[in-house]
Amino acid sequence: MNAIHRRAFLQRFGLSAASLPFLVGLPSLGLAAPARPRQRLVILFSPNGTIPPSFWPDATGEEFELKEILQPLAPFQDRLLVLNGVCNKVRGDGDNHMRGMSCLLTAIELLPGNIQGGSDTPAGWASGISIDQEIRNFLQSRDETRTRFGSLEFGVGVTDRADPWTRMSYAGSNQPVAPVSDPYQMYRRLYGQMRDREQLGSILDDVREDLRKARGLVSPEDRRMLEEHEALVRRMEEEIASTGRQELQVAPPTFEPGVADQNDNVPRLSRMQIDLLVNSFVNDMARVATLQYTKSVGQARMNWLGINDNHHTLSHEPDNNEDAIGKLVKINTWFAGELAHLLKRLEETPEPGGEGSLLDNTLVVWTNELGKGNSHTLNDIPFVLAGGGFGFRMGRSLKLDRVPHNRLHLALAHAMGHRLETFGTPKLCEGGPLDLG
Amino acid sequence: MNRGGAQLLAVVRILLSLVWLGSRPGWAADVGTDELARGRALYRDLCVRCHGETGEAVQGKTREPIRGDESLSRLTRIIHKTMPDDDPSRCVDDDAARVAGYIYHEFYAPDSRLRRQTARIELMHLTARQFERSVADLVGSFTGGLKLDGRRGLPGEYYSSHNYSRGSRAFERTDPVIAFDFGEATPDADQIKTNEFAMRWRGSVIAPGTGDYEFAVISQNGFRLWVNDPEEPLIDGWVNSGSEATEHRATLRLLGGRAYPLRLECFKFKDKTASIRLVWRPPHGVSEVVPERCLSPAYGSPTFVIATPLPPDDSSVGYARGTLVSQAWDEAITFAAIETANYVVGHVDQLAGTKPDAEDRPAKLRAFASAFTGRAFRRPLAVEEESLILNRQFDGAADPVNAVKRSVLLTLKSPHFLYPGLQVSPDEPHAVAARLALTLWDSLPDRALQQAAERGQLKTGEQVADQALRMLGDRRAREKLQGFLHHWLQVDRIESLAKDGTLFPGFDDAVIANLRTSLDLFLEETVWRGDSDYRRLLLADHLLLNARLAKFYGLEWSGGAGFETVALDAEHRAGVITHPYLLAAFAYPRSTSPIHRGVFLTRNIVGRALNPPPMAVAFNDADFDPHMTMREKVAELTRPDACQTCHSIINPLGFSLEHFDAVGRFRTLDNDRPVNAIGDYETLSGRTIRLTRARDVAEYAIASPEAQDAFVEQLFHHAVKQPLQAYGTDTADRLREEFRRSEFNIRKLLVNIAVIAALPPSNAQAIPDNAP
Repeated sequence: MNAIHRRAFLQRFGLSAASLPFLVGLPSLGLAAPARPRQRLVILFSPNGTIPPSFWPDATGEEFELKEILQPLAPFQDRLLVLNGVCNKVRGDGDNHMRGMSCLLTAIELLPGNIQGGSDTPAGWASGISIDQEIRNFLQSRDETRTRFGSLEFGVGVTDRADPWTRMSYAGSNQPVAPVSDPYQMYRRLYGQMRDREQLGSILDDVREDLRKARGLVSPEDRRMLEEHEALVRRMEEEIASTGRQELQVAPPTFEPGVADQNDNVPRLSRMQIDLLVNSFVNDMARVATLQYTKSVGQARMNWLGINDNHHTLSHEPDNNEDAIGKLVKINTWFAGELAHLLKRLEETPEPGGEGSLLDNTLVVWTNELGKGNSHTLNDIPFVLAGGGFGFRMGRSLKLDRVPHNRLHLALAHAMGHRLETFGTPKLCEGGPLDLG
Repeated sequence: MNRGGAQLLAVVRILLSLVWLGSRPGWAADVGTDELARGRALYRDLCVRCHGETGEAVQGKTREPIRGDESLSRLTRIIHKTMPDDDPSRCVDDDAARVAGYIYHEFYAPDSRLRRQTARIELMHLTARQFERSVADLVGSFTGGLKLDGRRGLPGEYYSSHNYSRGSRAFERTDPVIAFDFGEATPDADQIKTNEFAMRWRGSVIAPGTGDYEFAVISQNGFRLWVNDPEEPLIDGWVNSGSEATEHRATLRLLGGRAYPLRLECFKFKDKTASIRLVWRPPHGVSEVVPERCLSPAYGSPTFVIATPLPPDDSSVGYARGTLVSQAWDEAITFAAIETANYVVGHVDQLAGTKPDAEDRPAKLRAFASAFTGRAFRRPLAVEEESLILNRQFDGAADPVNAVKRSVLLTLKSPHFLYPGLQVSPDEPHAVAARLALTLWDSLPDRALQQAAERGQLKTGEQVADQALRMLGDRRAREKLQGFLHHWLQVDRIESLAKDGTLFPGFDDAVIANLRTSLDLFLEETVWRGDSDYRRLLLADHLLLNARLAKFYGLEWSGGAGFETVALDAEHRAGVITHPYLLAAFAYPRSTSPIHRGVFLTRNIVGRALNPPPMAVAFNDADFDPHMTMREKVAELTRPDACQTCHSIINPLGFSLEHFDAVGRFRTLDNDRPVNAIGDYETLSGRTIRLTRARDVAEYAIASPEAQDAFVEQLFHHAVKQPLQAYGTDTADRLREEFRRSEFNIRKLLVNIAVIAALPPSNAQAIPDNAP
């Protein structure tokens, strides 16, 4: 972070020299029951397409059986909405992985640019805002839904490269938003000040002792300065003690130290990020979150599943390579398992100050940049909605007729009270929001 | 930035008045005790009501304490004529002389009894500058650092592929600046095709001053720029949407006089054209291509620079010192400590020389924490400090990184870090090393200095001088001395040089920024090359100019892109006195200001004291006949007797620069009438010097002991931040004598100052005298 940003950050979050507002931006206590239930949105991404026969339920409607990949979601079947037939119809520059990723949430063309994919013309960043950021801005614009961060962008195993394959959230045209892959970094963002305050509080007594002893080393004239200094330390100590009594709705999670941001740690990193995500929701730091597993063309090697091949390389294998298909099913099932874990954590967490669970007031969307890995199709993108439906009728499997995904984004916005007319490329919005009620 | 400059220049207002001014007598006249007793009685009777027991000023009665350096005879005359102010006839002739004698001997003269008593080496906390630099060097002492050499420019590797693929490296070369417009062509038609190529430059960027630097890269292609952080790009423009040249900016705070690692990568792929420019806007500068003199092939580790703004230090005695303990200060250093602790935690394995999964990591982290505290305290730790700062944090800690963080916080909040004078024994070698590093670098001792302390090699003046000489070779010493020269020339108080655009067309921000660089390069060259002769600062008849400045000042230019020495009219130019940056700084937006220039010359160049004026008179150009010259207006305005006490000194000095207009151009006419720069300046000893031009002031000053002494004293105070008098009047005399004997060598003067400040203070001066 550069100096200006750091300074702006320090000021915004109260680490200015003018005062000691360690609590600025932290949620207040004793939350009264909100007038309207909160609405939260999570978008979870996994890459490289799915294996359709092992993913899509055969039946439509309320009576359907979950295939292998969706099996981990069985406990939540009545809260799922499986959406077959949603297509990313955005065309223009860039290969399908690039458009699949950077147009996934923006639903608008990429700018022309200098990044060459595996085929097609080179391209740049997306030319519009993504739906998560659009909804975030809407919520932040109103007093009753504004939170400290508005949205949080979590990543798991995303490389630190910034290009159209690694970014799905956009604050606007040409403004990609980077996900935070390091849970410790996210932790510092959410709770850093609080920890700093605690640690500072715990050493001030020693500092005062140090100052008191130092008095003996100086002349009577100089002693006055050390006494003044000591009084200031005492004052800071008291302020910290009194603000320390205010507490968060729930304490931040405790992490084991030193889980490095690397491939083999992905399962642990995933659980840490999910803990933070749920925690940030309980403490109402944000109402929108994205959770991005690796990236388009992601090459995770899931040793923990006994798979030593890279994910994207495997995804290119033809349908008749049973070994590869078997591995890809396992990989996608693992992602479903992480989604199930998130849903479980949301379900077992009571809604603060309200009724029911966090899950009742949270809609989770699981998606992918491709429909199928070896064909690179942008049709039939595996969209699964889960949790509180916000008016959608859950517990169903639907087959839609090749609808542009712009219309799904419109439906999400409308469900959260943001009545957009169009989103992304306007001509792909014909027919308006998908009717999922 | 600073407030003084605004008052000085932005406000079209001059303060004119009766002020105390005069000489620095190094003697005390013999006065009988009887006379002294009668003087005391008169003072008690007539003066104490307003001026207080020791002339400290009684609130609501008088604003200024009786301070200054008038001679006894002038003091007598002033009292005779003006005091007490409700009835000056009550204290005249012999009585005035008796009161003056009493005042003079008791508390006025530099070596008066009271001033001798009050001058002592005080306990002070680190100033803001010292804190920033100490923290940067403390963290930096655990990394490899960055060693600058004389080479300049930025080495680049050129590739014939867009992705730096193996075997595609075409050639290497050092580019003086990064400003290329390849158009549809390539960096080298023989070795690189137009369709795709890539470059990678690696080296460092040298920050000339301290402050916020705005970096920008302007390119039609993809690029990334890293500055002072090899991991996280400062600017990431790798994806370039569209073929238009895009510009990305980011700001970074840097400490002056240091080099910071920089890497820039750029690639072209199927784009029609290629171009790249590395641009910055330094503090006090304008947006420009980063110049060659600020780029170096040397590469190394980053420097940690705190972002927490620290409140300004008390400068009421004329130089910044750490005497103010306020809530704002305590909070700022607390946040800076937290910021530092978080940075340390973020880089802890690198700093401690370990790895996250290393078996001996806890031991390494603890050893790191111990070394960190020791270096911060500038000495080996006492057993009980080990126990407080380390054992208590580490023993039984679940996470040793957490223990590191707590020990870093505790260290940076400790009085032993914040108050460098807090020593169990001030003549201990580590205490000598600590004082030496503060005087020369405003920072902590480096490894070599610590070792000298450990080996007992800081006992004699020669040993300390050897170290001081070595330390003078470090860029931190240059930066410190540059800071002093800025203070001496009041550059640190200048805010704006903006002039009336119709009267001075072309005097724009770029010219102003280049003038500042011109002054800095002149100071640097004069002090650091050759004999470092103070007199050349005042006498040099050349300027360092670039093409833009040469054009503005109407000079032939045959040089290159950088700054070059241009000889000027030796009859008129006189070093810093006629440097256009200062001439323009001490002038109004539409005209010169002989008063501002005169006050500057009086105080800073000829070294006489002026107290702040107790009454204000506004200068309003419209009040005067439009046909008058500036000289005539000032003469008219300052004609009253009350003004003349000081302005008889200020005006002739100021008038001597009237050959230079408000932007420092030489002129012979003012308001279509011939310039009159002649004036008679009365020295302290009552001698009259006829001044006819700027050079006469310089020639008078370099031969004048007052001017030399003032320079010595100001450098001492700036470097040491303690009163020179506390080191004994002999010391001051010795320093001045040495300065003269060394042919006014500034670097040698600084070494002598550093030795005096570093060696254990003589007990007589160090022990505070509590007698009334």
